[in-house]
Amino acid sequence: MNNMKIEILGTGCAKCDKTKRFVEEAVAKAGVDAEIVKVEDMDDIIAYGVLITPAVVVDGDVKIVGRVPKVEEVIEWITQ
Amino acid sequence: MDNTVIPVSEKAKCSCGASIIGIFPCAGASNVGQLSNAIAVELHKKGTGNMMCTVGIGGKRSGLLKSAEACESIIVIDGCPVNCAKATMEEAGIPIGKHILLTDMDIKKNKELDLDPSQVQEFLSKVEEML
Repeated sequence: MNNMKIEILGTGCAKCDKTKRFVEEAVAKAGVDAEIVKVEDMDDIIAYGVLITPAVVVDGDVKIVGRVPKVEEVIEWITQ
Repeated sequence: MDNTVIPVSEKAKCSCGASIIGIFPCAGASNVGQLSNAIAVELHKKGTGNMMCTVGIGGKRSGLLKSAEACESIIVIDGCPVNCAKATMEEAGIPIGKHILLTDMDIKKNKELDLDPSQVQEFLSKVEEML
């Protein structure tokens, strides 16, 4: 089975970094195997149809746009 | 908590930090459908808001749905009373801040798809007055 892929979309600021930290924390708490990737290129971000950041994509599905997610929210997405 | 956002298209160093207005035209296959699209393009260029893909909402594309949900407010521009764009947003559960119907503005729907630039400017002005 392939590992889960979690992408953090954002060009790089405190909110983007916070999102990445929360995702890493959620992955650790949930104990799932996941590849966490930071996507900073505007063209790659827009390719998802995402126009506002930060955003989080789990296995190609955009889960949140425009705000930093709670750790609990991320755990819910990755344990469904 | 600060949940304000800023559009990617503003080419800021980062895209987090302010709020945006989403503009969703019907872009239908008629003179008024194409006019809705042209008006949305002009509003986007003028910085009134960010034009977004209405068909992506209908197609339930997650990136577009979540982006629409993150907008501070939504402007929907329909060409004719079939109101496809409005229905699309309602179907997706996205609240509409302002709905504009072009055939309410003294223009008749037909199958002509080529737009007259002067007519685009005329109806752009009328739409701006309503916003």
